[in-house]
Amino acid sequence: MPELKLDRVTKQFKNKIAVEHVSIHLKDGVYGFLGANGAGKTTLLRMLCGVLKPTAGEIFCNGTEIGRLGGDYRYMLGYLPQDFGYYPDFTAVRYLTYLAACKAVPKEAAGEKVQEMLRLVGLEGEQKAKIRTFSGGMLRRLGIAQALLNDPEIVVLDEPTSGLDPKERIRFRNIISAMSKGRIVILSTHIVSDVEFIADEILLMKKGRIVGQGSVADVTENIRGKVWEYEAEAEEALRLNDIYPVSNLKNEGDRVRLRIVSEERPHEGALPAEPGLEDVYLYYFEEVSEHVDHMDRGI
Amino acid sequence: MEKIKYRPPDRDGQRKECITGVWKFPIDEKKKGESLSEIRQEITKKRIRYYPSFAEIVWNQMRFQPWSHWALEGGLLLFLMFLAFYLPENAETEREILTVCSVFFVFSGNIALSSIARLFSRNMAELEQTLYLNLKQMVCIRMLEAGIFALFTMGILLSIAGKRSIAGTVMCVLYILVPFLWSDVFYLHMLEFLRNAASGFRSFAMGLICGLLACFPLLEDKVYNPEYRYIWFFLAAAGIILLAGRIRRIFETIEGGEILCLN
Repeated sequence: MPELKLDRVTKQFKNKIAVEHVSIHLKDGVYGFLGANGAGKTTLLRMLCGVLKPTAGEIFCNGTEIGRLGGDYRYMLGYLPQDFGYYPDFTAVRYLTYLAACKAVPKEAAGEKVQEMLRLVGLEGEQKAKIRTFSGGMLRRLGIAQALLNDPEIVVLDEPTSGLDPKERIRFRNIISAMSKGRIVILSTHIVSDVEFIADEILLMKKGRIVGQGSVADVTENIRGKVWEYEAEAEEALRLNDIYPVSNLKNEGDRVRLRIVSEERPHEGALPAEPGLEDVYLYYFEEVSEHVDHMDRGI
Repeated sequence: MEKIKYRPPDRDGQRKECITGVWKFPIDEKKKGESLSEIRQEITKKRIRYYPSFAEIVWNQMRFQPWSHWALEGGLLLFLMFLAFYLPENAETEREILTVCSVFFVFSGNIALSSIARLFSRNMAELEQTLYLNLKQMVCIRMLEAGIFALFTMGILLSIAGKRSIAGTVMCVLYILVPFLWSDVFYLHMLEFLRNAASGFRSFAMGLICGLLACFPLLEDKVYNPEYRYIWFFLAAAGIILLAGRIRRIFETIEGGEILCLN
């Protein structure tokens, strides 16, 4: 079973520090890196995959620095980059067969493995189609298939659900849950619902640093007493929305129910509420997760 | 009183009993089944690593090249074979033969390098760098392939130029080699600094520009005269140094990773 250890990992691009002194220890399980855009998640994941070299600090896999492991480390790695690469003139099956060969999947097993992955992501019907004809969601599914092709022990997925519709997101979550035993699965996202139900541990990243870490219960418990619910007139609701971070607004008749994240009670009539991961996101990043923005804000 | 006579233990007899099965441990078949099942599960879990041979790696890299790449390389070789018969008989001067050979050697270099450029296209570089056979190794294999193709092409071109050569084989090689070296330098420079460098248009445009530059000797009568040899030697040496520098820079770029993530 693999073990990853990041020891004071820092990455600096000219004048900008993208990742700063990150030290974490990852054993088998699903880890969700949650953070706003530009928090340093992608840079950290690129270092984990050996694409970028840390400016300072080291990454160890089972006690050995990953650069020294070389091919042995890459052998156990499955990676889905944020900007997924592909050859548009390849068919899905040819693309996966090519990557299987590059991932040293034995050629006797490669054909069967490719078909298994195509079935897993629901692309078996499009296996002979050129990738250039694929939609964004199909490309993402192909990306997930290639990441899992070599039965990797360490799976790194950067924004895996971007472009997927809700049904595909649920399918993806089920795939990750089913395959997580005995592996390290690292997911990076700014969509709370991607990790809320499947992550064993949440890592909150802000400005290149880990600002919070723990199970969903742990990180939500940290903000207990900072989430409030209040039913207000529409005019007052808008005023409160300008002053406080609001994780949800819902019309209830002629009144509006607000869910506010605040250190102090935002209004005399506000009542403490049970915190959720969306509230945690709002508390740390002072912005609403994409999922809430699109689906739950109902004013 | 009967005397008890000491009798040494019959070790051989006991061993015989064990062997013949008179005395043995009782075997719990249920536990035995469970243990064997656990062993089987452990074997299934154990990942047996597969290390492909060098020949297999090279073959895999070649078989996934697009057909258009093979068609271009094959077409160029066929055309060169045709030239080998036609050109020495029909060209007016040695200068014309050498210039045509230079231009085609430039084209062959660009076609061969386009297979390396492809590795850097469409965000593939970042993904390929994380594979067991990583980008650096892929580039090495494709450079090896490009080198073999260049040698083969050079052989045909020398057979063309050598038929009516006054300058001698060494100078023929030099005249053909210099434009090739410099066009490769430009191509690899483009590869490093332009995103999606393998896009067909850019590759084609670069090949065309380099080919046109290689036509320069047609404009100047005395360019292959012996008094300019030193300039050709200098250009060849500079081209070799710059090409080596470019190749080194490509590997440094791959190692650093930052530009890969942009491509």
